[in-house]
Amino acid sequence: MVNTSELDIRSTISNNRLKGLWNLMAGYRWQYLAANLALGGSALSKTFTYLLLRYFVDDVLTPGVYRLVPLVAAGFVALAVFEGSMTFASGALASRSAEGIARRLRNYLYDHIQHLPFSFHAGTSTGELIERCTSDVDAVRRFFADQAVNVGRVVLLFIINFTALYSLNGKLALTSIIVVPFVVASAIYFFKRINTAYEKYQEQEAVLSTTVQENLTGVRVVKAYARQDFEIGKFETVNETKYRKGRHLMMQHALFWPISDIFCGMQILAGTYMGARMVMANTLSLGSFLAYGGLIVWLIFPLRTLGRMIVQMSTGLVSYSRVAKIIQEDREDLEAGSSPQAGIQGDIQFENVSFQYEVGSPILGDVSFSCSAGQAIALLGSTGSGKTSLVNLLPRFYEVNSGTILLDGKPLPEYSKGFLRSQIGIVEQEPFLFSRTIRENITYGLNRSVSDEEVYQAARSAAIHDVILSFPHGYDTLVGEKGVTLSGGQKQRVTIARTLLKDPRILILDDSTSSVDLETEAVIRSALENLMRGRTTFIIAHRIQTIMTADLILVFDKGAIIQRGTHEQLVAQDGMYQKIYHLQTSIETELEKEVKRARI
Amino acid sequence: MPEYDEFAEEEYSSRLDSKTFRRILKLLAPHKSWVIGFLVTIAIVSILDGYFTFLNKKIIDEAIVPRQIDVLNRYVFRYGLLLFLQASGAFTFIYLVATLGERIRYDLRKAMFNHLQDLSLSYYSRTPVGWIMARVTSDSEKVSDMMTWGVLDSTWAVINILTSAVFMLIINWKLALIVLLAIPILLFIAYQFRKRIILQFRTVRKTNSRITASYNESITGVRVIKALGRERDNLAEFSQLTGTMFASSYKAAWLSALFLPMVQIVSSIALGAIIWYGGYQNELGWITIGGIQAFTAYVTFMMWPIQDLARVYAELQHSIASAERIFSLLDASPEIQDRPDALPVDTLLKEIEFDHVDFYYEQDKPVLSDFSLTVKPGEMIALVGPTGGGKSTIINLLCRFYEPKRGTIRFGGVDYTTLKMRAIQSRVGIVLQTPHLFSGSIRDNIRYGSLEATDRQVEDAARLTGAHEFIVHMEKGYDQQVGEGGNQLSVGQKQLVSLARAVLSNPEIFIMDEATSSVDTLTESLIQQGMEELMKGRTSFIIAHRLSTIRRADRIIMIDNGQIAEMGTHSDLLRAEGHYYRLYTQQFRHQAEGQSEILSGEEI
Repeated sequence: MVNTSELDIRSTISNNRLKGLWNLMAGYRWQYLAANLALGGSALSKTFTYLLLRYFVDDVLTPGVYRLVPLVAAGFVALAVFEGSMTFASGALASRSAEGIARRLRNYLYDHIQHLPFSFHAGTSTGELIERCTSDVDAVRRFFADQAVNVGRVVLLFIINFTALYSLNGKLALTSIIVVPFVVASAIYFFKRINTAYEKYQEQEAVLSTTVQENLTGVRVVKAYARQDFEIGKFETVNETKYRKGRHLMMQHALFWPISDIFCGMQILAGTYMGARMVMANTLSLGSFLAYGGLIVWLIFPLRTLGRMIVQMSTGLVSYSRVAKIIQEDREDLEAGSSPQAGIQGDIQFENVSFQYEVGSPILGDVSFSCSAGQAIALLGSTGSGKTSLVNLLPRFYEVNSGTILLDGKPLPEYSKGFLRSQIGIVEQEPFLFSRTIRENITYGLNRSVSDEEVYQAARSAAIHDVILSFPHGYDTLVGEKGVTLSGGQKQRVTIARTLLKDPRILILDDSTSSVDLETEAVIRSALENLMRGRTTFIIAHRIQTIMTADLILVFDKGAIIQRGTHEQLVAQDGMYQKIYHLQTSIETELEKEVKRARI
Repeated sequence: MPEYDEFAEEEYSSRLDSKTFRRILKLLAPHKSWVIGFLVTIAIVSILDGYFTFLNKKIIDEAIVPRQIDVLNRYVFRYGLLLFLQASGAFTFIYLVATLGERIRYDLRKAMFNHLQDLSLSYYSRTPVGWIMARVTSDSEKVSDMMTWGVLDSTWAVINILTSAVFMLIINWKLALIVLLAIPILLFIAYQFRKRIILQFRTVRKTNSRITASYNESITGVRVIKALGRERDNLAEFSQLTGTMFASSYKAAWLSALFLPMVQIVSSIALGAIIWYGGYQNELGWITIGGIQAFTAYVTFMMWPIQDLARVYAELQHSIASAERIFSLLDASPEIQDRPDALPVDTLLKEIEFDHVDFYYEQDKPVLSDFSLTVKPGEMIALVGPTGGGKSTIINLLCRFYEPKRGTIRFGGVDYTTLKMRAIQSRVGIVLQTPHLFSGSIRDNIRYGSLEATDRQVEDAARLTGAHEFIVHMEKGYDQQVGEGGNQLSVGQKQLVSLARAVLSNPEIFIMDEATSSVDTLTESLIQQGMEELMKGRTSFIIAHRLSTIRRADRIIMIDNGQIAEMGTHSDLLRAEGHYYRLYTQQFRHQAEGQSEILSGEEI
C-alpha cells in the first residue's frame, strides 16, 4: 500500500553529508547515472555541431565541394535532434529520481514525526518543524533535481569542449582558460554574498508577513485603541527595511554579472584576436577558427553559474543536516509490551511517583494514591501545580522518573503504549478537530467500521446530533476554514462523541468545560456524565461544583498532594480546598439566600 | 459553499482589460525617469548583442580572409570598447530595474496596508485573513516583477530580434526571410509550452500547500493522534498526497525538460535550411563564410529572446489577475467613514442612548431589532444571555465597529455618526475573551494602551489587574517576549495582559467581553477586588457568565433574540423569577445533593 517501507531512512543518515545524500539515492542511482550520461551525450553533440561547422568551412566551402552541402545541413539537424533528446532524457530522469527521493523522504518524515515522543514535540516549535519538513526537504530535492545535475553539466561541458579546443590548437586552448580561475573565484565570492543578502531579505519578508498577519488578526484591538497611525508607522519601518534589503541584494547581482561579463568577454576577444592572427599566419584553418568561436562560449559562460550552484549546494547540505537531525530523534515504541486480549479493569495505583521535564525542576514529587475501577478522581490546584503532568503519565506520553504506576496491579511499562492508549480517552480543554467532515472527526482513529446509527447514537449522547443536522451538509459538513466554524462548546461535544465511540476504560477530562458559556456547560456536563458512566475517570477542573461528586479529590500544590478526601471531608478541613470552596460558593450561597428571600 | 469560492485563488480568467492595464501603468508614473533609464540601457545592451555577431562577421570577411592586420586591430579595439560599454549598461539596467521593482512592491504594500487600516470590521469578517495576506505579499511581488523584469525582458527580446533581423537583412535578405519565417512558429510553440508549464506548476503549488497543511495538522494535533492511535491511517492518507505531488511535479519537470529541446530542434531546422541554401549562395558568391557564420550565430541565440517573450506573455495574464485582486482590495471602501464635517469629542462620559436600533450582519438574519437602551454616565451595565443573542453586537455598535442599520445611537444627545470615529474609539477600552497580543515584550503590549506611558504606569496598570504577579515570575519579567500573537502565554495570562492594556488606556467607557473566563479562581477574586477601583468614573459594559462578576453591576440586562428580555438589578431579577432566575439557579439544582446539607444548615 505504502511504498515508504522500502528504505529505512534513519539507518542511512550519515554525519558525512555527501555520503548521507548518496545513501538517500538508494534505488535511484541507476536512473541518476543514466541522467548524467545523457547529459554527457548532449554536451558532446553540441561540441560536434561546432566541429561540423569547421568541416563545413574547411572541407566543403573552401575547396568548393558543394555536393556535400545537403549532407552537412542534415548533419546539423540530426545533431540538434540528438542533443535535444539527450537534454530531455537527462532532465526527465533527474527530476524523476529527485521527486521520488523527495516523496520517500516526505513520507518518512511524516510518519517519523507522528511517532516522536511528546518530550520532542513539547520542545520544538511547530513552525520550525514544518519549515524543516517543507522548505528543507525541498532544498534537498533541488539538490538532486538541479544542482547535482547542473554541476555535472558544467564540468562535462568544460572537459568536452576543452578537449575539442585542444584538438584544434593546443596553444590557443591553453591561453583560453587563463580567465577561468578568476571567473570561478568571483562567482563563488559574489554568490556567497548574494546568498547572505538573500537570506536577510527572506528573514525580513517573514517579519513583514508576521506584522501584517498580526495587524489583520488584531484588527479589533487596533481599532479599539485607534492605533491605526501607530500600526502604519510600524509597518512603514518594516516595509522600508525590506526595500533596503532588497536593493542591497540586487546590488550584488548588478555588480557580479557585468564584472563576469567583462572577464568572459575579454577572454573571448583575446582568443579571437590570437586565433585571427594564427589564421593569417596559416597556423590555423578558418574552419577551426570559427569552431573555436563557438566552443569558447560554451566553455566559459557556463562557469559563471558555478558560483550560484556551489552556494545552493551548500544550502542543500545544510538542509540535509537539519532534516537528518529530526530523523535521528528516537521514535516511541508503540508495540513493546503486552496487550491483554481481555482488556483491562481500570484499577490504578500511584506509588511514590516523581516526575520532571527537565533535571532540576521537579513537577511531581512523591505522589501516591489509588483508585478502583469505575471511580472518579478529581484533581484540583492552580495552574502549573502538576495536574496535567500527572494525567499525561497514564497514556505514557511521558515516563515517570521514579516510583511506579500500577494498572490492574501491573506496572504501566508492562503494557504496550499502543494498547494503553487504546484504553484511555481524553477530552481536553481546547478540543482539537481536524479539517475533515464531522463524521470523519467523530470516527477518527477508530480501527473498526461503525454504522451511521452508532455515530448518531454517540452524537446524541454527546448532545450534538441536532446541531450537526442543522449544518448545510449534516454529518458531511467540513470542519474549519473550508466549512463551518464550530463554537468551543460544539467542538467539545464532537470530541465527547468521538470518545464515546472509542469506548475507553479510563477517561481523562482535562478542564473540559472552562471555556464554554453557562448554558453550554450544563449541556456538556450531562454529556460528560453519560461518558463517565462505568469508567475510571480523572477530572481536572477549577470549579468545585464540577468535582464535588468525585469519589476522591486530590488537591495539588507545587507538584504534591496537599489534601485528599471526598468533598464532605475536605470542606470540613481547614485548607486550600475549603478556601476555594468558600470563594466560589459564598456568592452562590448568597444568591440562594436572595432567591429564598425573594420568594418570601 | 459559494461564500468561499469568492476567495478561491488564481481563478480570475481575465482578458487583457485595458482599464486594469492603464491602472497598472499608472503605478510607474511616479518613477518615469527610472523607467526611461532602464529602457534606454536595455536597448543599448540588446543592440550591442546583435552588433557583436555582426562585428565578428566583419572580422572574418574584412580582416582574416583578406589578411588585413590593421583592420583586425581596429575591429578588436572597437569590440573591447563596446564590451565595457555593454557591461556598464548591464550594471545600470540591473540596478535601475531592481530598485524600481523593490520600490513598486514597497508602494503597493504601503498603499494596501494603509488602506486596510481604514476598512471596517465588516470587511474583515467576510474576507479571510489568508486572502488579504496573499495580496500584500505574493500579488504585490507578481505585479512588480511584471512591471520591471517583465517589461525589461520583453523589451530586450523584441529589440534583440529586431536588431538581428536588420543585420541578417543587411547580410543576405533571402536567408533572412527563412529565419523570419521560423520566428512565429517558434513563438507559438514556446508560448504553448510555457502556458502548460505554468498551469502544471500551479497544481504543484496547490498540492504543496496541502502537504504543508497536512504536516501542520499532524504536528498541532499530535496529542489527539497519539491518544487515538491513528498513525497508520494518517500515513496512508499522506502517502496519497505525496503521490499526487510526485505525479504533478514530475509532469511539470517533464514539460520543462521538453520545452528547450523542442525550441532548439525547430530552430535547428532553420539552421539546416540556412546551411543548405547558404552553401549554394556561397557557390554563387552571394554570401561570404563570415555571413554564414553570422547566420548560424543569430539562429542559435534566437531562441533566448523567443523563450523570454513566451514566458513574459504567459505570465502576463496571471500578473494582471494579481493586479486586479490588489485593486479590488484598494477599491473596497470603508463602510464606516467619518463625515467630512465630523465633530471632535471632548468626553464620552455622557448619557448613551440606543434609540430603536436595528442591526444585522446578513440580510434576513436580524441580530438586533428595535433595541432601545439608555445608559447613564458612570453606570455599570452587565449583559447576559445565550450565545448569539446579540450581546457582542451591542458592543460592536457601541464602539462603532459597525453602525446601526436603522435607528440612532447618541452620546449626550448627539448622533454618534456625526462624531469623529477615532475620537470615540480612543476613549473606549475593550477586553475580549480571546485576547490578541502583538509580538514583542509584555511591556510593549501593555503600553499599546497608551504609547506615552512610563514603565511605572505600565506596572501600576498590571498591578491593578493582577497581572503583575505572573509577570515578575517570568524569566525576563516585563521584557519577556510574548511570541507571535502572544502564543507563549496561556489564555488566562493573555487576558490579564490585555486587561492591563485596557486599564492603562484610561478609557471613559470600559468594555469587558468574557474578559476573565480563563483566569483561575484565586486570581479572579483578586481582579474582582480591584474592579470597583477599575470602574470608578467610567461607564462600563460587562459581558460575563460568572455570577461573581455580574452581580456588582448597577443594571443587568438579559438579551435574548436581539431584544431586552429582562432588565434590573441582581435582586430585582431574582425576584422576578424569570429567565435570569432560572439560569442562575439551575446550577444549584445540579449540585443540590452535595450542597443541601450546608445550605439547609445555614437556613436554620
